[in-house]
Amino acid sequence: MSGNKANRKAFKALFYSFAGFLFLYSLYLFLSNLDQLFVTEAAVKTREITDVWGDDREIMNQFAGGFWKDPYFWKSLNLTVVTTLITTLIASIVGIPTAYALSRFRIKAKSIVEILFSSLIVMPGSVIGICLIIMFNYGPLWDLQNALGFRFAHSLFPGMVIASLVLSFALGLSAWKAAFDSVNPRFEQVARSLGSSRWRAFRTVTFPLAKSGIIAGIILAWTRAMAEFSAVLFFCGTFMELPSSRFSEFTKFIQMDQADWVSVAVWAQVEFGNIEYGFALAFVLVLIGGISVYIMHRIGAKGYIW
Amino acid sequence: MKSKKIFIFSLIFSSLFLITHAFAGEKRLLFHAGLGQRGALNEVKDVFEKKYPDIKVNFSYKGSGYFIADITRSKQGDLFMPGEEFYLLQAVERGFLTDYNSETDIPAYFVTVIITPKGNPKNIRTIKDFAKPGVRVGLGNPRSCAIGIWHQKTFEKAGIWDKVRSNATMSAKCIPELGNATQHRAIDGTIVWATTAVLYLRDVEIIPIEHKYRGIIRLPVGVLRFARYREEAQQLMDFILSGEGRNIFHRHAYAVNKVIPVDKQGFCLDDTTDKDMRFLVNAAKAVKNKSYPVNEKTVGPLIGEVLRQKNTKRAGD
Amino acid sequence: MKLAVTTRGRWWPALCGTITVSILASYLLLIASNWIYLGWSDTVYFFSKTRMWERFWLTVWTSTVSTFFSLLIGIPAGYALSRFRFPLRHFVASVIDLPIVVSPAVVGAFLFGITTRFPFDWISEHYGLYIGRNVYGVLLVQFTVTAAFCARLMKASFDMIPVRFESVSRSLGASPLRTFFKVVLPMAKNGIIASMIVVWARAAAEWEGLMLFVGATEGKTDIMPFAIYLDWNSGMMGWVTSMSIVCILMAVSAISAMRIIGGKSNVW
Repeated sequence: MSGNKANRKAFKALFYSFAGFLFLYSLYLFLSNLDQLFVTEAAVKTREITDVWGDDREIMNQFAGGFWKDPYFWKSLNLTVVTTLITTLIASIVGIPTAYALSRFRIKAKSIVEILFSSLIVMPGSVIGICLIIMFNYGPLWDLQNALGFRFAHSLFPGMVIASLVLSFALGLSAWKAAFDSVNPRFEQVARSLGSSRWRAFRTVTFPLAKSGIIAGIILAWTRAMAEFSAVLFFCGTFMELPSSRFSEFTKFIQMDQADWVSVAVWAQVEFGNIEYGFALAFVLVLIGGISVYIMHRIGAKGYIW
Repeated sequence: MKSKKIFIFSLIFSSLFLITHAFAGEKRLLFHAGLGQRGALNEVKDVFEKKYPDIKVNFSYKGSGYFIADITRSKQGDLFMPGEEFYLLQAVERGFLTDYNSETDIPAYFVTVIITPKGNPKNIRTIKDFAKPGVRVGLGNPRSCAIGIWHQKTFEKAGIWDKVRSNATMSAKCIPELGNATQHRAIDGTIVWATTAVLYLRDVEIIPIEHKYRGIIRLPVGVLRFARYREEAQQLMDFILSGEGRNIFHRHAYAVNKVIPVDKQGFCLDDTTDKDMRFLVNAAKAVKNKSYPVNEKTVGPLIGEVLRQKNTKRAGD
Repeated sequence: MKLAVTTRGRWWPALCGTITVSILASYLLLIASNWIYLGWSDTVYFFSKTRMWERFWLTVWTSTVSTFFSLLIGIPAGYALSRFRFPLRHFVASVIDLPIVVSPAVVGAFLFGITTRFPFDWISEHYGLYIGRNVYGVLLVQFTVTAAFCARLMKASFDMIPVRFESVSRSLGASPLRTFFKVVLPMAKNGIIASMIVVWARAAAEWEGLMLFVGATEGKTDIMPFAIYLDWNSGMMGWVTSMSIVCILMAVSAISAMRIIGGKSNVW
C-alpha cells in the first residue's frame, strides 16, 4: 500500500512539473522583462543624438518612459477601454439573440455556420485585417461611403469598433451559445405552455438560468477585444502624430484625440525605439488581461470552439 | 506501453535532430535594412547567394528609425542599410560602424515623387496642391521613418508645412504604409520614394516633382563593428557597390548615377534624374494601358517590374 | 389555448432570426471579399506558383513541430489543472493563460526581451544555436502561444471525463501512470485529437509575435500569416489576397476536421 502511495506521489509530481513548467515559463516571460522599464545609459545616449525626440527626451529618460505623466498614455487607455466597451455592448446586443437562435432554432446547415464562426477564432489576424480593408475600400461598401462622404478605414469611431468587433463577436458568440446550450429547452416550453409569450419565456426563464454563462461570454468578448492587434493595425493605423486639428471637438472633449489602440501603441513605441515606454504599456495590458482571466476562472466560465 | 514510450522518445529525438541539422554549417549574415529596400535587396540576395553558395543572407526589415534602438540592445548584425544616411550617421556616432566612407559607400539614391490614387481624384499636380483644403494627405512619422523627415523638409521649403500638416489624415510608421493607403484610396496623395511608387504601378498615378523640391536621398550601406562574419559582410557590401549590384537597384527605380548634384538640403539641382522619372511615368502608363509599348526606350530598366505587374490583375511576381 | 402560445411574442424569434441572417451575411461578405477582389484568373495564377506552396509547407511544418512540443507539455499540464486541487489554483491557471489572453504582439515584445537572458544566451553561447531571427524564433513564438492554449483545451477535454473511471481503475490496483495511459488517454482521445487540430491551426495563425521578435527572411521565417504582412508592405496585393485565401481555407478545414472527428473542444 505504501508503495502505491509513493507511486501516486511520483505520478502527481510528474504531472505537476509540466503544469509548473508552463506556469514558470509564463511568469518568467513576463517578470524577467521588468528590467526593460529601467532606462539604460545606452538608451539615453541614443536619444541624445536623435534630434527628432526634442523636448520629450526629459520625460522619456525617466523610469518606464514616464508613461503616467504622458497624456498620450491616458488618452490611449481611455480610447481603448471605451472602444472595447462599445464593442462588447454591440457584440452582446447582437450576439445574444444570435446565440439564442443558433442554440434553439432548427436552422439548416447549422454546422456550416458554426464552422464559420469557430474558424474565425483560429484565423490569422492579418487575414482579418486584409479582409476588412478590401471589404470596406472596394465594392458596394466603398460606394456607400462615398455617398455618405465618410470613411470607415483609418477612422477612430467606426473603424476601431469594427476592427475589434469581428473576433470579439465570434468568441463571445461561442460562449453565449454554450450558455444557452446548457439550459434545458424544456423549461422554456413549460413556461410557454403555462401561457407566457416567447419573449417572456426567454426573459424570465432561459436568461436567468444562462446568466453566469452570459456574463462569462461578455468578459470573454471584452478580453478578446482588448487583445485585438492586427485588425486595428491594418484597418485603422496610428493616430498619435496627427495634428490636433484633424480631430473633432467632441473627440477632444472626451480625450481621445492623438491616441492609439494600446497594443498597437506597444508596437509603435518599441518601433520608435522608446522601449521602456512600450514595455510599460505592455505591462498595463498584461495586468488588465490577467485580472479579467482571473475573474473568468473564478466564475468558472466555459467558452467553446464547438 | 513500452513501445509507445519508445515511439514518443524517438519522435522527440528525430525532430530535434532534424531541426538542429537543417541549418548547420552555413555562414548566415544578418542584414538590417529599411522596409523600403525589400524588393531590391531580395534580388541582390538571390544573385549573391548564387555567386557565393556558402554564404546565406538573413534580413531584418524594419522602419529606419527603429534600427538604432534595436542594434543598441541586441548588438547583433553584420550589415546595415537604413533608408537614409542620417540614420547611418547616428550609428557611426554611437560607434557601431567604424569605416564608413560617405563618398563611396552609396550604392543608390532614392528620388521623391508624388503618388495619388488611380484617376487622381483631387487633381494633384504639384507640391503646392497638397495645401488645398480638403485634400487628405498621408505623412510619414519622422520618428520612425526617413520619408517623414523629407515630408517636413519638402513642405517647409515650399512654405506650406502648416497647411499640409492640418490636411494630414494618416501618419505612417513606414513608407509602404503610405503606398498601401494610396493604393486603397485611403488618402488623396502623398510623397514617397520612386522605388516605393514603382510597386503600385497599376493602382496609383505617379507625378514627378519639379527640380526645386525633388529630394535626392543617399542610401548608404556599412558593415557593423560587431559583425560575426566580417569578411563575408564586406564581400556582400562590395557586391552591392559593384556595377552589377547597382544595376539591380536601378531595375527597382533607384537612381544609380555616381554623382547627382544636390544643394545643401539634398534637393536636386539639375536634370540628372529626369530620365528615370520619365521611365517611371511611362511604366505606370504601360501597366494601366494594354496597348502601350513596353521596351527599353519607353520604360528603360523598369521593364522587368512592368512585365511583372502587367502579368496579373493584382500585383505579385 | 395552444394557438395563443405560439402567436404571442413572435417578434422575439423573428428578431433573433433576422439578426442571425444579417450577421451571417456580413461575415460571409468579409470572408469572400478576398475572392471577389482577386478574381478567378489571378487565383489560378498565384495558386500555381511554387512560392505559394513553399510557404505553405513552411507554415505546415513549423506549426506541426510546435504543436508537437505543445502537446508534450500541454497534455500533462492540462491533466494536472483538471484533476488536482491545490492552493492558488485560479491564480496559477490565470498566469498560464496569460500568453493567450494578452495581445500576441505584446507576447512578441516580451519574447524579444528574454532571448538575451538566461537559458537563451547560454544555449547560443555553448551550442551556437541562435534563437531569434531564424526558424527557431518562429518555433519559440508558436510554442509560447500554443502551449498555454493547448493546456487550456486539454484541461477542458479531461474535465469532460468523469473521475469515477480513474478511481475504479486505481481501486483495482492499477498504478496512476497506467491508469493515465490505459484509461484516461483512450477516453479523452477524441477531445485530444480535436484540440490538437485547433492548436495546430492556432500555431499556423500566429504572426504578431514574429513581427516584433523574428523579422523577415524570405522563405525561412515568413510563415504564411506573416508573409501576408510583408507582401502587404511591398504592395503585392495578389500575393496578399491569395495567401489569405489559403489561410482561410486552412482554418476552415482544420475546424471542419475537428467537427468530423466529433471532439468538442472548449477554450474556457
